[in-house]
Amino acid sequence: MLDKEPMLSVVGLEKTYQAKNKPPIRAVNNISFQVKKGTIVGILGPNGAGKTTTIKMLCGLILPDAGAITINGHDLAVERSSALRSVSAVLDGNRNIYWRLTVRENLAFFAALKQRKTAQISEDIEYYLEFFNLKEKRNEEARKLSRGMQQKLAIAVAMIAESDILLLDEPTLGLDVTSTHEIRELLRTLVDEKHKTVLLSTHDMHLVENVCDEVIIINQGRVVVQDSVSNLKGIFQTKPYRILIEGTLSDSQILELSHIPNLSIEVLDTGSTLLTALLEEKSELYPILNILEQEESPVESIEKITPNFEEIFLAILQKGA
Amino acid sequence: MNRLALFKAYLVKEFAIFRRYLPNTIGGIVTFYVIFLLIFLGYTGIAGGSPNYGDMVEDLIVGFVLWSLILMSYQNIAFTIKDEAQEGTLEQLYMSPYNFGWIITSHVSARLIINFVIIAVILTLIMLTTGNWLNINLLSIIPLTVFTLMGVLGVGFAVGGITLLYKRIDSYLQILQFAMVGLVAAPSESVIWLRFLPASWGSTLIRRVMVQGASIMDFSFGELSLLILIGCFYLAVGYGIYKKAEQKAMKQGILGHY
Repeated sequence: MLDKEPMLSVVGLEKTYQAKNKPPIRAVNNISFQVKKGTIVGILGPNGAGKTTTIKMLCGLILPDAGAITINGHDLAVERSSALRSVSAVLDGNRNIYWRLTVRENLAFFAALKQRKTAQISEDIEYYLEFFNLKEKRNEEARKLSRGMQQKLAIAVAMIAESDILLLDEPTLGLDVTSTHEIRELLRTLVDEKHKTVLLSTHDMHLVENVCDEVIIINQGRVVVQDSVSNLKGIFQTKPYRILIEGTLSDSQILELSHIPNLSIEVLDTGSTLLTALLEEKSELYPILNILEQEESPVESIEKITPNFEEIFLAILQKGA
Repeated sequence: MNRLALFKAYLVKEFAIFRRYLPNTIGGIVTFYVIFLLIFLGYTGIAGGSPNYGDMVEDLIVGFVLWSLILMSYQNIAFTIKDEAQEGTLEQLYMSPYNFGWIITSHVSARLIINFVIIAVILTLIMLTTGNWLNINLLSIIPLTVFTLMGVLGVGFAVGGITLLYKRIDSYLQILQFAMVGLVAAPSESVIWLRFLPASWGSTLIRRVMVQGASIMDFSFGELSLLILIGCFYLAVGYGIYKKAEQKAMKQGILGHY
C-alpha cells in the first residue's frame, strides 16, 4: 500500500462554527491525512467528532477556516472545477437523487451534470444498471424503490460521473442487513475492479472491519490515529484469554496468581471463577494452568478473545481522551 | 457544447416530470383559468357598461397572463433553490464542475420553455372565453418577455439566497407572489419612477404590443435600452445577493440544510 500515490491530501484543515449568542464550536482542529489511490479509507468517530464537516469540506460545500485540500493534484480552493471533477459524493444517502425521476433518468441527468460526454452516457448507464443490479427497476421512479435500492442508486449516480474518488457519508445508515451486505460488496468491487478510491464516514464497525484498508479515527475535531485496519487489530491483539473455573480458588492460588501480570480474578454470581489474562505469548498460559492443577481446580473452559473493531475503536478513543 | 448538454439534460428532466405529473399540470392550468374567470366576471360586473370595456378586458388579459408568467419564473428560482435544499440535491448541484449560476440558468430556461407552453394554453382558453383576441406577435413578444423576466429572475435569485440562510420563510415567499401583481399593474407609462421596478416597464411594452398592436420595431432605442438595462441590473444585483448568501451559507456549513 505504501507505493500508492495519494489521491486526496488534507493539510492543517480547520473549521470553527460561529453562532450568535453561542460559544464557537471547533468542529475540525488541524486535521491532516492522505488517502492513497485504490484504497477504501474509513473515517470513524463519535457523534460531533467532525466527520461530516470534514467530508463536506472535501466536497467544497463548507469553506474551511484554514488548511489545504488537494484532490488528484488540484488545489480545491484554487482549481475548484478541476478538483470537483475527480470527486463524487453521497452525502444524504437516498436524498441525493431526484425521487420523481426514474432510475435511468437519474443516472442520465447526473452524468450530464458531471460533464460526461453524451456519446458515452448511454453505454455507461447500462453498465451501472447491471453493476448495481438495478436493471429491472430502470423505469421505476426513485420514490417507489426500497431504501436499500435508493441507496444503491445514489451510489450509482455518484459512480456514473466516472470520478476517481467517491466520498460517502454514512453509506449503510438505516439499511437492513441484506442491503448493508450488498453495499459492502459493491464498494469492495468498485475499488478492486474499477480502481476507485473511497473515503467513507461511518458508525458501522463491520463495514470498517470488512471493507476498509485504512482507518482514520477522529475525536473532538482531531485525528487520533490513521493506520491500516490490520495494523490496528495487531496492536490490540494482546491475546486475551478467559479461563472459567468451577467453584472458587484457594487463598494460596490467588496469591500465586497475583504475581502474574495482566491477570484479573472475578468470582461470578454462578459461583464460578473467571480469570482474564492478557498474554504476550501463548506459552504464558502454562504457569496459570500449573497453579490451577496444583489443587485440581476444575477448568470449565478456556477461551481466546479476538477483539472486534468496535472494541479497538473504543480503546483508541479512551487512550486519545 | 458541454453547457448546452446541461441545458438539454434539464429540458429532458423537466419534460419527464411534466409528462409524468400531467394531471398536476392540468390542475395548475385549471386553477389559473378559474382565478381569471372570477376576476373577469367581477370586472365585467363593475365595468361592463363602460365605453372602453373592450380595451380594458384586453389589458386585464395581458396583465393576468404576464402575472402568471412572472409568478412561475419567480417561483422557478426561489422555490427551486428551497426545494433542492429540502430534498437533499442542492449539494449535488454544487459539486458539479459547472458554475452554479449556469446550472440554475439551464434549469430556469428549461422550465421557462415548459411555462411558455402552459401560458399559451391558458391564454388561448382565456381568449376563447372572453372573445377578445390579442395581437400575438411572437417576434416582438419573446425578446420583450425575456428581458422583462430577467428582472424577475434577479428577484428570485435574491430571495433564493435569503432562503439559503434563513430556511423556513415559506410564508414570506407566498406574500411576494402577490407583490408581483403590483409590478405588472404599475402604471409605468405615466409614472416615470415606476419604470425602474423589475418587470414593470417590460409589462408596459408587452401590453403595447398585445393590446395596441405595436411591434418591437415601433419602440425607440431609449425605450428598449431602458428595458435591457433594468433587466440586466436586477439580474446582476439579485445574483450578487445570491452569491453573497451562498458564501455565508458555505462558511456556516448550512448550504444543504433545511
